[in-house]
Amino acid sequence: MTVINTTRADLLRGAPLDSWIALSKDETAIVAIGATFGEAAKNSERAGVDDPVILKTPKIWLPLSV
Amino acid sequence: MSIKLPYKISPLHGGGVSACAVLNVNIALQAKNAPRTKRFEAIIDSGASRCLFHSSIGRFLGLQIERGLVEDTSGINGIARTYLHDIALYLPGGVANIRAGFSDDLPLAGLLGMNGFFDRFKVVFDSTAQQCELERIFQA
Repeated sequence: MTVINTTRADLLRGAPLDSWIALSKDETAIVAIGATFGEAAKNSERAGVDDPVILKTPKIWLPLSV
Repeated sequence: MSIKLPYKISPLHGGGVSACAVLNVNIALQAKNAPRTKRFEAIIDSGASRCLFHSSIGRFLGLQIERGLVEDTSGINGIARTYLHDIALYLPGGVANIRAGFSDDLPLAGLLGMNGFFDRFKVVFDSTAQQCELERIFQA
């Protein structure tokens, strides 16, 4: 049986919706938020994280069919 | 050489989670020594005919999104307008110069589709192991 690690889901559940989120390099913490990709990138640098992983949160967390 | 990507988990409204294959990528303009974006998450999606990225990422690179070639795409939610631009996509095994679509309506940062991604990798989705295996194809 595969055990699903839900740490990431718990982290993202608390993140603002319809936003750009910068995660720490190990993807275990939110280090910056922005209204655009560029804003999240800039805010991440301001937070001292030069190598984040950025993602966009949806307006509502629904199963994807894009 | 292949790499194994554990599926990434996302929350679902009302509880529960979903899992999907995600690769962290950078993109850049195709100009020599053009700076790359920070890494961002792109879903590996065999249902996408080409790679698609949110317009916000393209604007960060300086692209004038609406000046791209218009391509209307058909999805489960109907027809969506995308704008095509030639970009460099940084992938395991090296950079790929591709034509990608950009859209403000994409609900996520990026999709890695058939044209531009699946034509460069052998892709195995293994839902029992909750992982995706990628092997770069180098064509002669």
